[in-house]
Amino acid sequence: MKIIYSWLSDFIENPPPPEELAAKLSRIGLKVEEIKKTGASFCGVRVGQILKIDKHPNADKLALVDVNDGSGELRVVCGAKNIAAGQKILFARVGALLAEGELKKAKIRGVESEGMICSAAELGLEGGDNTGILVLPDTTPVGVDAVTLFPKADCALEVEMLPNQSHCLSHYALARELCVFYGFKLKEAAVFSGEASGNVVQVNINVPDLCPRYGAIVMNGVRGAKTPAWMADRLRAMGSNPKGNILIDGSNYVMYELGQPTHCFDIAKLSGPKIIVRRALPGEMLKTLENQDLKLDAGMLVIADASKPAALAGVMGGLETAVSDETGAILIESARFHPPTVRLASKTTGIKSESSYRFERGTDPELAMKAARRLAALILEAAPGAKVEQITDNCPVKYEPPLVEIEPARVNAILGTGIADGEIYACLKAFQPALKDAKPWKFSVPSYRQDIETVWDASEEIARYVGYDVIPSASHMPMRPSTITPQWAVGLEMKNALAGLGFSEVYNYDFISVKEMKACALYADFALEVKNPLSSDYQFLRQTLLTGLLRTLRYNLNRGRESVQIFESGTVYAKKDGGKTEEVHCAGLMSGDFPEGGFWRGGQGTVDFYHLKGMMSRLFAGKGGFRFEKPKDAPGYFQPGLCLEMKLGGGCAGHIGRLSPAVAAAFDFKDNNIFFFEIPLSCMAAAWKPEFWQKIAKIKPVSAFPQNWRDLSIVLEEKHEWYELERAFPGVQDLASARLIDVYKGKNIPAGSRSLTIRFTFSSMTGTLNDADVGARMAAILDKLTKNFGARLRS
Amino acid sequence: MNAIEWKGKLSAIRDSFSVSITKEPAENPEALELHFLGRKGELALLLRDLKDIPLEERKPLGALGNTAKQEMEAKLAELKGATGAAGPAVKAGIDLTLPGWPFPKGSLHPLTHTMNRLAEGFLKLGFTMADGPLIEDDYHNFEALNFPPFHPARDMQDTFYVDAKDSGGKSLLLRTQTSGVQIRSMEKQDPPLRVFHTGRVFRSEAVDASHSFAFHQIEGLYVDKGVSMADLKWTVDTFIKDLFGSAVKTRFNPSYFPFVEPGAEVDMSCIFCKSAAGRCPVCKGTGWLEMLGAGVVHPNVLKACKYDPEKWSGFAFGAGIERFAMLLYGISDMRMLYENDLRILKQVQ
Repeated sequence: MKIIYSWLSDFIENPPPPEELAAKLSRIGLKVEEIKKTGASFCGVRVGQILKIDKHPNADKLALVDVNDGSGELRVVCGAKNIAAGQKILFARVGALLAEGELKKAKIRGVESEGMICSAAELGLEGGDNTGILVLPDTTPVGVDAVTLFPKADCALEVEMLPNQSHCLSHYALARELCVFYGFKLKEAAVFSGEASGNVVQVNINVPDLCPRYGAIVMNGVRGAKTPAWMADRLRAMGSNPKGNILIDGSNYVMYELGQPTHCFDIAKLSGPKIIVRRALPGEMLKTLENQDLKLDAGMLVIADASKPAALAGVMGGLETAVSDETGAILIESARFHPPTVRLASKTTGIKSESSYRFERGTDPELAMKAARRLAALILEAAPGAKVEQITDNCPVKYEPPLVEIEPARVNAILGTGIADGEIYACLKAFQPALKDAKPWKFSVPSYRQDIETVWDASEEIARYVGYDVIPSASHMPMRPSTITPQWAVGLEMKNALAGLGFSEVYNYDFISVKEMKACALYADFALEVKNPLSSDYQFLRQTLLTGLLRTLRYNLNRGRESVQIFESGTVYAKKDGGKTEEVHCAGLMSGDFPEGGFWRGGQGTVDFYHLKGMMSRLFAGKGGFRFEKPKDAPGYFQPGLCLEMKLGGGCAGHIGRLSPAVAAAFDFKDNNIFFFEIPLSCMAAAWKPEFWQKIAKIKPVSAFPQNWRDLSIVLEEKHEWYELERAFPGVQDLASARLIDVYKGKNIPAGSRSLTIRFTFSSMTGTLNDADVGARMAAILDKLTKNFGARLRS
Repeated sequence: MNAIEWKGKLSAIRDSFSVSITKEPAENPEALELHFLGRKGELALLLRDLKDIPLEERKPLGALGNTAKQEMEAKLAELKGATGAAGPAVKAGIDLTLPGWPFPKGSLHPLTHTMNRLAEGFLKLGFTMADGPLIEDDYHNFEALNFPPFHPARDMQDTFYVDAKDSGGKSLLLRTQTSGVQIRSMEKQDPPLRVFHTGRVFRSEAVDASHSFAFHQIEGLYVDKGVSMADLKWTVDTFIKDLFGSAVKTRFNPSYFPFVEPGAEVDMSCIFCKSAAGRCPVCKGTGWLEMLGAGVVHPNVLKACKYDPEKWSGFAFGAGIERFAMLLYGISDMRMLYENDLRILKQVQ
């Protein structure tokens, strides 16, 4: 919220300077985000006229200018391009105070200058440019003190307002806050203090719980009353656009000044004339001040005349009963409305106004009449012929200040402080001068501070009063062991391992578009939709991390990268039985050269399936029961037949594979040399042990005797896959490992068959194996392979 | 094959190798190596044939074969040095200044590093990690945290809703804060309790240099007997000093979060300008950086979780991960964290 320093000063006796004020506000939780100087603060500048322009003898771009400033003729050196003889300009004599300080006598290129023709920037005027001198209208009289031509020097403070600071939403309210906390003396605004007993407009409140108070002042003789210039200036400084009509501008002014929104109805346009505060009837309509047709519902509170709604309570007035320059008699409304009702109406209609902003935060119950009287006073000032006819204070629900019992020990227990009773009392007394000093203290909450309900609330005020710095830093927190969640532990382990394997971690948003969903062959039926997405690009919640990774791949390829190896860990979502599921996955992809950038000696290539498969084997190394299997049904974004499921124990540990050509094409990649994996973290989290020692596998002893190896080349039909063979090896005596070292097809190998060369390593715990031992074991292996797979020795 | 034949073959291979290695222009040493010494190279195959020769003859033949192998390896190394190097000047050796094998370099995201470090800070202070869903219900995200329906405090957090409902028929939402985990933890566990949670949150806000519709938070909750704002101060101060060193100072300012009362915002003395007055671009010359939100747990929150506020009290404090990451990594635009430019991510150590 904007606060104008001079306006604030209307309510504080001897206010401190703006910077000090800002610091004081910030200290009590009203953060001042910006202090902006406005208006003219220069001194010693007069309106002058250019008499004659001569060339500077020593400089092409400078001129010698004769100026009359009303008290004599002076010669100055000037570099501005927009000067012309006869112009009225702002002239500063030597000694004038400008934005940059005092103007000194100067010799410019050998010619003495007796002053300066000023630009707006040199005068420190807001938004002033310095591309040329400021030229005044021809009618401006020469010799006038220039400071009088501009708004007075002032300051605008931008104060951040939190939702609980409804008691600070005006100049008066902030002044009051400063007075409570810092002991300044508060000044009051001038209000109309007379009485009037007319009964021109009857005010009925049908729903007192939604409108506990309705203040109304009826005035006539207001036709044509104009907004005074000082008020228009202040409204402009607030960023509001004054209309020139005091009935409109005055209402806004009072809101910024006191925090109470008011509204003026044109009585001539009020049917009855009557004011009825009631719920809207279903189907009723209201044309707003902004010429918008609103369809009302029974959840909305309206101010109606005898026939129909005239305003949506607390949100916006109606056009048909609005004041105009022709308006002669008005009813000033200054009421209190139920905050949630105003908020709901504002949300439903989509209308957010300065008024609804204040009402939905709650207004001071004792402020309604004061604000109405303040507005009446301002109107009377602008329209001396006007008359107050009727003052009505319809208050079906009286405000009863709650009493909060405050025990100093409780306050100190909440704050952890040892604040003396006297100091706590002084603070409460500053809020509520009527507080009696006999204990127990029954703190009667001031009407403008209805947010104070408990001793916790009061403790915060006391802490603000003494300053948060008074609270000591001291802990009674006992030592306690702490643990992490299995999912976090597993995720961390996996992230570190993937980074170690050369993957870079990326972070994508959880939202995807329907286009991306279709491009990845995902089922829309299972996708959770965002009901209020920021755009159609972010309409659904991702079911896989693939979409984001593909986006990232494209982003980096577009920036000239030739190799991409990335991963992401994040949540994926799905619909389930009308509800939802969410699960944390870890996924990644590889594409392009491997290793990245190649190697000068050669030996590099393009990423393929076996690179990724090898990485997954490394990732899961040592995890019991890890294996690859052919998937029963692979996700649709993999190329058919080029996907494997990973298994850990009995469960699925995700999939790896090559992207399908259709997905690659849909994402505009030139080929589908993109290899992707996705792992649900739950597959590892389930087996994760919180105690570190349980995670550590016991080390197996190794043989003290030399090991032997033999290579075996066999030929067998291609239908027998490697994993089938692998399963045949366990059980062979002393076999330490069986490693595939070559696969060959072609010359000398029958079509439909292939040759595999496998290196078998043997190691015994009890002795050195001799040739015969190894031979016997190799024979057993060959026998098994022959029987099971029809393998024969390659000759 | 007998021993004589075997020797003959070995000699033929040596001859053929000599011819190849002296050819002008030089042949690719890798190809030569593969041909003669590779796994299926001529020499390797010959050595394998040794198994058919009686054991007593095998030993000297093996030695011959190995000698031949060493000679060939030495010659190849020489050739490699020559072809791989820039010029004849270094023909004798190899250029050790050539780049090494390009082992792939991976990286963790700055936000992961930051989150890990902050989590470590909580763990050191005895806070146990807790978890909660990203798709939340209104009760845990708002109502139990003392954001009543129609309260303007809800305006601070524009919310995304999804097309699924909670058991009461209310739309589920993407959580706007990690604080819901406070409620879920207290529902699960009786006091005393000391937990923290970190994770992603969502707000329906336009993306700019300092806003993102998805970002991350971390926050801790401590409930016990006699917990006060002083305990909070010590804990927050210790947490910050653990991260930024014992020289930094912290400062509490009044602030507002519906689920705490009194509420505070915590500033840390600017580590970038060393508090010297001036034009530090990070703290904008104020000497202070806003780091955390904190406060004493609001009695309404305790009551919602069936904790008796007359018996138990607590504090909570939390922060945005992005804010910390941006300060630590010197990032001025939050969008950079979600753009995933590998030129940037690979810089992270």
